[in-house]
Amino acid sequence: MRKSLMQILCCPVCKGDLVLSVTEESGEEVLEGSLRCAACRVDYPISEGIPNLLPQTACED
Amino acid sequence: MSDRGGSDQVYPPAEDSALLLRAALREVRPTDRVLEVGTGSGYVAAGFSGRASAVVATDINPHAVASARTRGLTTVRTDLFAGLSGPFDLVLFNPPYLPTAPGERIDDWLEYALDGGPTGRVTIERFVADVGRVLSPFGRVLLLVSSLTGLDEVRELFVRAGFVPFIVDEEALEGEVLYVLRAMRDLCRMGA
Repeated sequence: MRKSLMQILCCPVCKGDLVLSVTEESGEEVLEGSLRCAACRVDYPISEGIPNLLPQTACED
Repeated sequence: MSDRGGSDQVYPPAEDSALLLRAALREVRPTDRVLEVGTGSGYVAAGFSGRASAVVATDINPHAVASARTRGLTTVRTDLFAGLSGPFDLVLFNPPYLPTAPGERIDDWLEYALDGGPTGRVTIERFVADVGRVLSPFGRVLLLVSSLTGLDEVRELFVRAGFVPFIVDEEALEGEVLYVLRAMRDLCRMGA
């Protein structure tokens, strides 16, 4: 995901703002990292360039 | 959840995808910020992405978002638009619309692409109830539905949510008719 995507993302549960942490990037493209919702105290992973904004309590594949 | 992985877990483009793309190409404007919900393979979003200002594609299925990303699309894995705030000028959705009895359900990711619950409208109801949250004031929605889904019932869902829906395209298949519904906020009723 490009960093500019942050403008239109929100926490899927409370709809609040997310804070981006990058662990691997290529230019403006974030490949690995996380999106934190401070209000819910939940980290949503970014993996292979795709943010996963499923509620983290949900049954995972 | 079974996980055979790969392309057999992603809804392949079919007649409904082609019809939604045809309607999208007529609808999209160069300044539009577009969201495609439930993008599957990414076929529709990739088909018009060069004609819009920005395109984002979502799917709940991890194989689908990975597939759509290989087409160069910006993808987000989320349920409908749960993790998006928008606003978007155009929202497209080819939803799961087949009426499906509990005994007919198959336990894999393709089920998400097809299973519309007993009425065929379970996911559509959730979509219509919340799409206004991510839509700009003059934003438009294109929703693909089948005669099997209950066209009048879907139109009624939009009307009750404060939208004006009308049919902009249709195609008869064997045993069903596919429609593209276009919906906008009912500006006469806003603030009423």
